Amino acid sequence: MQTFDSYVLFALIVLPLAGAGVLMAIPGSRPVPVRWTATAFAAVCLALSAYVFLSYYLVHLDDGGMQLTRTWNWLSLPGAGPLADQGITLALGVDGIAAPMVLLTGIVMFCGVLMSWTVQDRGKDFFILYFLLLSGVFGVFASLDMFFFFFFYELAVLPMYLLIGVWGSSSTFSAFSRTKEYGAMKLTLYLVGGSVLVWIAILAIFVEGGLGTFSLTALEQVEFSPTFQRVFFPFLAVGFGVLAGLWPFHTWSPDGHVAAPTAVSMVHAGVLMKLGAFGILRIGMALLPEGAETWMPVLIGLGTVNVLYGAMSAMGQRDLKYVIGYSSVSHMGYVLMGLATLHSLGVTGAVLQMFSHGVMTALFFAAVGVIYDRTHTRDITVLRGLAGRMGFTTSVFAVAGLASLGLPGLSGFVAELLVFLGLFQTYPILGVLGIVGAAITAVYVLRLLAGAFFGPSDERWAGLRGASRLEGLSMMILVGFIFLVGLFPFPFIRVIDTGTAELLARFLSLS
Amino acid sequence: MIGAEWAWAIPALSVAAFFLIVVFGRWLPGGGGFLSIAAIFLGFALFWLVLADVLRSGAASFSVTWLAAGDTRLTWGVTVDRISTTMLGLVTFVALLVQVYSIGYMRGDPRLGWYFAVHGLFAGAMLALVLADNLLFLYAAWELVGLGSYLLIGFWFERRAAAEAAKKAFITTRIGDVGLLAGIILLFRETGTFDISTIIHVAQQGDVGGGVLTAASLLIFLGAMGKSAQFPFHVWLPDAMEGPTPVSALIHAATMVAAGVYLVARMMPLFELVPIALLVVAVVGLVSFTLAGGLALTATDVKRALAYSTVSHLGLMMLSLGSLGTAAALFHLVAHGLSKALLFLGAGSVMHGTNGETDIRKMGGLRKRMPITAAAFVVGAASLAGVAPLAGFFSKDEALLAVLDHRSPVFIAIALAGVALSALYMARVTLVVFFGGLKPENDHAHESPPVMTVPLIALAFFAVTLGVIAFGWTDSYRGFADYLTGEGPFHVEPWLTAVSLLLALGGLLLGWLYYGSGRLSSRAAAERLPWLHRALVNGLYLDTVYQWVVDRVVLALSRFTALFDRIVVNDTGVDGPAVTVMLSALRMRYVQTGKMYNYAAAMALGVAGLALVWWVVS
Repeated sequence: MQTFDSYVLFALIVLPLAGAGVLMAIPGSRPVPVRWTATAFAAVCLALSAYVFLSYYLVHLDDGGMQLTRTWNWLSLPGAGPLADQGITLALGVDGIAAPMVLLTGIVMFCGVLMSWTVQDRGKDFFILYFLLLSGVFGVFASLDMFFFFFFYELAVLPMYLLIGVWGSSSTFSAFSRTKEYGAMKLTLYLVGGSVLVWIAILAIFVEGGLGTFSLTALEQVEFSPTFQRVFFPFLAVGFGVLAGLWPFHTWSPDGHVAAPTAVSMVHAGVLMKLGAFGILRIGMALLPEGAETWMPVLIGLGTVNVLYGAMSAMGQRDLKYVIGYSSVSHMGYVLMGLATLHSLGVTGAVLQMFSHGVMTALFFAAVGVIYDRTHTRDITVLRGLAGRMGFTTSVFAVAGLASLGLPGLSGFVAELLVFLGLFQTYPILGVLGIVGAAITAVYVLRLLAGAFFGPSDERWAGLRGASRLEGLSMMILVGFIFLVGLFPFPFIRVIDTGTAELLARFLSLS
Repeated sequence: MIGAEWAWAIPALSVAAFFLIVVFGRWLPGGGGFLSIAAIFLGFALFWLVLADVLRSGAASFSVTWLAAGDTRLTWGVTVDRISTTMLGLVTFVALLVQVYSIGYMRGDPRLGWYFAVHGLFAGAMLALVLADNLLFLYAAWELVGLGSYLLIGFWFERRAAAEAAKKAFITTRIGDVGLLAGIILLFRETGTFDISTIIHVAQQGDVGGGVLTAASLLIFLGAMGKSAQFPFHVWLPDAMEGPTPVSALIHAATMVAAGVYLVARMMPLFELVPIALLVVAVVGLVSFTLAGGLALTATDVKRALAYSTVSHLGLMMLSLGSLGTAAALFHLVAHGLSKALLFLGAGSVMHGTNGETDIRKMGGLRKRMPITAAAFVVGAASLAGVAPLAGFFSKDEALLAVLDHRSPVFIAIALAGVALSALYMARVTLVVFFGGLKPENDHAHESPPVMTVPLIALAFFAVTLGVIAFGWTDSYRGFADYLTGEGPFHVEPWLTAVSLLLALGGLLLGWLYYGSGRLSSRAAAERLPWLHRALVNGLYLDTVYQWVVDRVVLALSRFTALFDRIVVNDTGVDGPAVTVMLSALRMRYVQTGKMYNYAAAMALGVAGLALVWWVVS
């Protein structure tokens, strides 16, 4: 067991790569083995990620801290400092914050593969890139070394360009059009731009730390000067914030969704945006707590803008994917607000919201994918009365919608409630604005349901097929987690709380 | 012996029925609807055991930890006391009757299983709401009640109007819920707990700041206004009549709309600490009571008339609460809940017998075709009109007494006008629908089957007899008010009783003159005050105003934000720099001429420039 534990995170990073390798060996002309291979690898990754979370919850909860750790020395940096021997290491481990994120990645990855059985064109290449991307995502959540953190971060972003550029779709609207190349290019440039800021801050931390190592665990012991922290925290907050959809650097996200194929949208909103918030937590707040404390009022303000502006924009959209895309911007605002409270309830809520939103938005995009596949439109002024034809998809969409408007019993309520509780301890007025945001969400979600799904059945959709078995399975898994977190949030909250407490201890020691 | 500690099972049974029907319904006969009826029947049976236990050993509460984060513990728990058991009895009884009635009313509907499943969800949520011992649990149940109502109102979602009405109900109540949640979290911030009794205890110790307490109680009342359809949030209730009629009997008479009144009654010790909040409650109640009475007078749809009447009577309950008459408000809640459920089920029976007709102008003389329904309806209407000795008479009187005791004479004067109005519109609906000559198109009308009339008779029985619980019968039972809140034995103010009874009878007489005998013409009355009539028919233009605000402010703002995001933030802010870089690159490439002497000249200029800089600096 000991050996298995020390390899499980490594396996999670390598398995998708291995899956990509195996897929390369299968002739692309035979889609069935390609799909089964992809599904099998994704299933193993889901099982391993569930193992990571459960072992943290069942075995390591009392110990807390980093678990399932393993370090491989990769490169020493002679002369750089006292720890130059371990200059760059492949150090892996998860704490209470990363463990649920790993689980989330496993879930979304598997469900995304199930939704991608319908990819007709170059399915093999699609899965290869998809697996590369997810290897990067697992890597970010498991890395304890800034160099590899950044390496995996880039690995998670770059395949996106091809996935959208090749398998995406261009859309023409009455007033404007968005090509898939535009969406892919903007997304990539934006995220690479954010990475530049992150990389500057990482190098600055490396130099200022003076230890000659990129190891996060070692650098956590260093007390950086307040000035340094205040100068470089914004680099991390904005650099990572871009990926988290931080206003006003969010426009890559809705346009990216509109251009992306279903599974890529699921991964994009489900886990990729979480990498940004995770980066702020793991590097920004953990290494530069004083900087974080200084800048948090700004971040919390921008988070509020995210919530309200995202919700209002979502209401003004006509395309289903734009609605969901802007709702992601809005919901990631709660994550930013929660983090910025620096209060245990708020931060725990933010991390739970990352999980909850990941599952919920993946479900949204899965349902939209099914609808678009059958009706060939996402225009909510054209879609009418779908409920009569696609009962299952409608129910699933309604569950996601109700979770997003914070209905008790579903995951969004618990997460948002914790964020609100944290906010009222620190910034009560913004807390009220946050609740108002949830009410606006109710308006656009219910308008969408009433407009596109309810009302008289339309004869245009008379021959419509509902969701297939695989699509149904994929959506049911996501629905299951929405209910699980909504009704039995204890395991998640206890695990996250362990991580949050350790993180916030660094802030308490400041004052 | 099963006692109060099993109270949690009452909502749990109904919720379990919901999940069972949703998952297994398709393989069960009738879609599994019987599961929901069985669950609520068991709940009703359990209620008696719980009640016996409460009478024997007093109030109790039971809770379990739901989640712990940091040093915060959240619990799920139930409070079983006299107030919550009263509500328990009302909700289980009405829900049971409504579900039984639905067997007949909904016969042949293709989604019968789903219908009963949602009934289970709704009943479970409502029962959890009345039992909740902490505000968070209460809020969760509160929202699920809203969901249940959304699904029930929108049950026939293929009908555009039903889908729109469901949406309107959810969103309008949700706006109030923003206040409720904010108020709850504010109280949590001050007291560190969601537990209702602890919060009240802490507040009574004076450990919560006055400003916060005022804000919190007003915010909580905002939630109550939304759920209980108080002016100006009442607009969702008449539209909600798009749902199946038994649904209206359940959620728009005795349960969901009563939740707001129940919430204020539960939090009454908190409101008592904030006189301004009590005043707001009283004023909102008074305005709703009288205005909705006027609106009920002009409604031509029988269900909409009843809906406005509900708003009106909920207003009376709020007025009573705002006048410190907690027990009177709850008494009226019960009496009104039973009477109004009876009226809605009666209206449903009429619709069942006339192919879904709801326009009262097309009805008349129906008592000749549906005698049981007519008799039951008359009983319900008389009870709400305040005819002695029916249930509504006593409860209304106690509420008025509270107003008289604790509010200025202006309140009681306006409230008495509301009483007369109440009798007038009840007379109108009853006379127009059931009396007069039978219209030929209604000749085929028929009485409903026993599965529908028996619930009517049961409710009518209570509408007649419930008044007796107002009195003290033994030394230990000194009237319903004393039983509920221990505020002393039942008492009457003879002149007030006489006046209110006279006004009620006057209202009925006036109604008879207008709509029964035809001595007076309602059309002439309408023409004498055309602006008032138009305003009432149009619901005081509130819907128009709200629609304008939604279209011209909210949606316009959202479209503006969307456009702003695309054109300013994205196309200018994001694409702008990109285009600038591209255009500059296109210009810059002309520098690369490929001619050696251009490069040499640039190099020479550069060297000269650097030399100049070096010379200046040093």
